[in-house]
Amino acid sequence: MSIEQNTAPADLAAEPDGAPVRRRDYRWLLSLGTLVALLAILEGAIRGFEVPSYIFPAPSEIFRSIYTGFAAPLSSKSAYYTHILTTVSEALGSFVCGSVLGIALGGLIAEFPLLRRLALPYVIGLQSVPKVALAPLFVVWFGLGISSKIVLGILLTFFPLMVNTLAGFASVEKDRLELMKSLKASPWKTFRYVKLPSALPFIFAGLEMAAAYSVLGAVVGEFVGGNSGLGVLMLNRNASLDIAGSMAALVLLALLGITLQKLVTMARNRLLFWAPSKDVLRNVEAQPD
Amino acid sequence: MTTHHAAATAVTGKAPGLAPGEPAITVRNLAKSYRSEGRGVVNALAPTSFTVADGEFVCLVGPSGCGKSTLLKILAGILKPSSGEYRIHRQGGAVADCQIGLVFQSPVLLPWRTVLENTMLPADALELDRDAMKLRAMQLLDMVGLKGFEKSYPSELSGGMQQRCSITRALLHDPPILLMDEPFGALDAMTRDVMNAELQRIRLESGKTIFLITHSISEAVFLADRILVMSARPGRIIEEVIPNLPDRGSLDVMASPQFGTAVHRIRKLLGIDVRDRPNVD
Repeated sequence: MSIEQNTAPADLAAEPDGAPVRRRDYRWLLSLGTLVALLAILEGAIRGFEVPSYIFPAPSEIFRSIYTGFAAPLSSKSAYYTHILTTVSEALGSFVCGSVLGIALGGLIAEFPLLRRLALPYVIGLQSVPKVALAPLFVVWFGLGISSKIVLGILLTFFPLMVNTLAGFASVEKDRLELMKSLKASPWKTFRYVKLPSALPFIFAGLEMAAAYSVLGAVVGEFVGGNSGLGVLMLNRNASLDIAGSMAALVLLALLGITLQKLVTMARNRLLFWAPSKDVLRNVEAQPD
Repeated sequence: MTTHHAAATAVTGKAPGLAPGEPAITVRNLAKSYRSEGRGVVNALAPTSFTVADGEFVCLVGPSGCGKSTLLKILAGILKPSSGEYRIHRQGGAVADCQIGLVFQSPVLLPWRTVLENTMLPADALELDRDAMKLRAMQLLDMVGLKGFEKSYPSELSGGMQQRCSITRALLHDPPILLMDEPFGALDAMTRDVMNAELQRIRLESGKTIFLITHSISEAVFLADRILVMSARPGRIIEEVIPNLPDRGSLDVMASPQFGTAVHRIRKLLGIDVRDRPNVD
């Protein structure tokens, strides 16, 4: 008894895999510094070599364009707010709907073997269709408004979630299921207490992919045809050779994508403190320096 | 198959408490075979019969692949037997409908649950009164020396502590029978000795019927009232050994002549000798 307990504090001191470590982290300062330095070099090079702004605008011009877009009155055509609102609703709508559908169908297929046999071949077949190629059809079917973009986004986000959910349920440890069986647990209890939590790391890996795909779906949909949105804004400015304005929209799109992904990651870290990340890049990031 | 169903009703039916002298576990001609691709029909367990008396500690030793784990999984209700029957006799005093507590070789703790929550899993699965069970869980954790670790997560515990937590989980719903599948097989020799003494103490205190599978002959002799020795594939029980140790309250008993005799006897039965091929791990 005492032998074990004496070794326990040492075990506790070792940080468990994947557990959040609260430590002041100033690495973001380094990243910010790098960004500023790169932008300064770019600015200097573009001015020095007198690159025309309709080819590649200097960073300062892009920032000015971003500023004017936000400074413009709400009703103005060049104001960003409505465009941002459109793209955000499209991305969020498709992210939420596609994820819910993907998780639900993935769970159902995993739980019911008959459904798996019926649906899986079609699902796999559909997955190999290049889905963005359907964008023109969706615009015809669902119009120039946000619904055609949401449908495209759902199609894009649905698959990673369904496949990941399916994989998550398929990889539940056999011992855990046998434990629940020995406790005479009902299928629902086994699902709730063991299967769903075991599948969550996979589901979150899917959600992180879906976050990126939902923005992609919105932009591609807007490119094909739309009234408003950051994609539409980009196209219009491109057409009038306002490259700085076009890049400003691109920066906003990037920020949108990053924010969405960060939100998913934050939710993941809260819920899955116990699970090592399945994200390859994050594991690289988490490596000790 | 039909006989098995009859046995199943005996488990779930509200039969009165155990009659004196009636065994806690009865196994008659229990066998398991399954179809395997490429190998045809595989006999995982040859017809096996034995009984375990109420309150008895029985160990099953045998070489790998003789069907020990299959047998245990059938008794735990995880696998269905191909033929034969078994009865887990319903006893009074059990908190829940679940008559057995199962301990695996690995702790099988849920990493998202704390030590206390893991111990409480049977309460969730069997819908027991949470407040009463929480009290019991705290007592059990205290008993196995995990007091103060209730809020820890499994990843923060050593292997021996994790296995202790899995034992408290198996005991939570106060099952009259404990089924253990090489519970200490993954632990180092020192921790294993400690855990053996611990299990012996738990057993002497609680009077539970224990059926334990092990690879370790000395573990079996130290723990069991009776040892069933199983032969290699197809596994069948070739003999039972009763160690008759003088005092099992302490590990010192391992130095007694009775201990040596029993170990020697089982080794002979399993055909482990320096001169023989080592077909047992």
